[in-house]
Amino acid sequence: MVESWWVSTLARGLAFSAPLLLAALGELVAERSGVINLGVEGMMILGALSGFAVADASGNPWLGVMAAAGVGTLAALLHAFFSITLRANTYVSGLALTMVGLGLSGLLGKPFAGRPLAHPLPKLDIPGLSSIPWLGPGLFQGQNALLYLALLAAFLLWYFLYRTRGGITLRSVGENPAAADALGVNVYLVRYLATAFGGAMAGVAGAYLSVAYRPSWTEGMTAGMGWIALAIVIFAAWDPLRAVAAAFLFGAFYHLAYRFQAHLPPEFLKMTPYLFTVLFLVLGALGKSVRLGAPEALGRPYVRGER
Amino acid sequence: MKRVGLAVLLLLGMLAMAEGKLKAGWIYVGPIGDYGWTHAHDVGRKEAEKAFPWLKTLYVESVPEGQVGSYIDQMVRQGVRVIFATSFGYMDGVLEAAKRYPNVIFAHATGFKRAPNVATYMADFYQVYYLNGLMAGALTKSGKVGYVGAFPIPEVKRHINAFTLGVRAVNPKAKVLVRWIYEWYNPAAAKEATEALIAEGADVFAFTEDSPTVVQVAAEKHLPSFSHYSPMLKFAPDYVVSGQLVHWGAIYKDFLAKVYAGLYTPKNLKDVDYWWLLPQKAVELGADYGVPVNPKFIPALKAKKIHHPVFGEISVYDLVMKLKAMMSDVELAFDPFQGPIKDRKGHLRVPAGVRLTQAQLESMEWAVEGVTGPWPNEPK
Repeated sequence: MVESWWVSTLARGLAFSAPLLLAALGELVAERSGVINLGVEGMMILGALSGFAVADASGNPWLGVMAAAGVGTLAALLHAFFSITLRANTYVSGLALTMVGLGLSGLLGKPFAGRPLAHPLPKLDIPGLSSIPWLGPGLFQGQNALLYLALLAAFLLWYFLYRTRGGITLRSVGENPAAADALGVNVYLVRYLATAFGGAMAGVAGAYLSVAYRPSWTEGMTAGMGWIALAIVIFAAWDPLRAVAAAFLFGAFYHLAYRFQAHLPPEFLKMTPYLFTVLFLVLGALGKSVRLGAPEALGRPYVRGER
Repeated sequence: MKRVGLAVLLLLGMLAMAEGKLKAGWIYVGPIGDYGWTHAHDVGRKEAEKAFPWLKTLYVESVPEGQVGSYIDQMVRQGVRVIFATSFGYMDGVLEAAKRYPNVIFAHATGFKRAPNVATYMADFYQVYYLNGLMAGALTKSGKVGYVGAFPIPEVKRHINAFTLGVRAVNPKAKVLVRWIYEWYNPAAAKEATEALIAEGADVFAFTEDSPTVVQVAAEKHLPSFSHYSPMLKFAPDYVVSGQLVHWGAIYKDFLAKVYAGLYTPKNLKDVDYWWLLPQKAVELGADYGVPVNPKFIPALKAKKIHHPVFGEISVYDLVMKLKAMMSDVELAFDPFQGPIKDRKGHLRVPAGVRLTQAQLESMEWAVEGVTGPWPNEPK
């Protein structure tokens, strides 16, 4: 039976977008506070390994997800310490985090390679909803709980950023830390918290890969998804709801490239992920000139009393 | 300065000799933890080290193909006398290094260029793929078998062709749907390629790619699959039917024993080319060592009867076992690529009564009848 391309694109696009969306939402919050963290890929892979290890040892995949969030947070705090407190070059610190993450996970992950995970996160079939025409089979059949969590997180974050006092505080720290400071906001604390949140989300994104998407550990299994998440943040103009659309677009094209491989030149398929990353970046860069939401103080360490 | 270096090198080499140990080094293209290609080579290395008390081994992993030369330099400096380079892309780097170090023995996996001190070796699966194809043909209900390939190169094309010949020997109308991921190792790509094949209606799966992804994805949908390279039965004990396993250790032990005995020297390797198959026990049928067919699938395979041109009425299970025995014999009473075979464009590629030579197998670009999907570099 041949599945309709619409259903398969919706289902696979969503499934593939979940890790990208989780990591992108975390990075989005960090960047809204003014901190760029290029260590997404590193935090993700550390999350993937720790998630697998804990899920494997405990038999409970949710414990794995929580462990991944914890490890991602710790890794992000390292970046926060270097870039916020020590005011080291934020790009170098982030890149270092990626490299350390990839190397360390490869080293520590050796004993876990080649082992299936006995209890992965279950796939959900939501009765009733899955029979909605057009949308049901893709949205509510065989998807993973973490996907719904990611979508929920996007809506909650949007509400937080634009409709709550906390969101205004976070954005003001990213736009004008000196002004926020003058109003009594603890800039360093806000930036630390935002960066830590970014790490936790990247960790969960990694766990999605190792305990849900493909329940096993293999070295380098994030395969560049962290970088794609970074591109999505820019493409989405730092808006959580647009991030949902951007991540889905990416997942959908990824699926379609395989579905219709027979009709596409292979070179096209090979470059699709990169093509879109570049396209996203270009669109993002074009957007910058009309100020499409890039936080004003992005990537600049804050020094109290300096202008 | 160079002279001093050379003297030191000689001295180190002599020291190693004085110790009485032969030092062999492995250069890997991926991480050992890939649970695929590099992992299998490393198992072979360990097997060799365990077998020979006079052998000392070392290795480097994840060496980019363009940088093999400098890693060889380092190994030679450490006193390594035999170097195994385990990726096709190392070919030219190895040949250059072989000129720099005429007294070091090199062996290059999957390559075809040799020199007085460079041998080549390969453990090939095409026989095993044919056997897997027979079983896949018996198990498909939709008549569509999915295949996820890494790169459209002759090695992978040969395997898909052998597999498809097997499928069609049992199920003449079945098709093998092929998707390429253009990477040896990319679990996400392998997963989405498999999902795309499922959406196209494929219900049995095989692959050439360095991770157990295809097996896992198929099992999630309760569909049978054939594993590749490493023992993957445990990833889906109810759904993996069989597969192919490699024993690089067989080649490594043979090669190193001959070096140690003085049969192989840096002067006489020009014609040393290992092309090891079932008879040499370099490859094995199965998804786990010693388990050629998952017992859960034996009843279904025994129940499926076909009319075979040689054996007459026979069950697929018996056919697999018979042909496996024949192909495991050095006399090779059976070969998958035995004419007449037509390619999918209708050209006769192997005339009746003829078998393909090793060179023809190694340069195969055409697709047999029954293969559907993109096939780059397909001859007109």
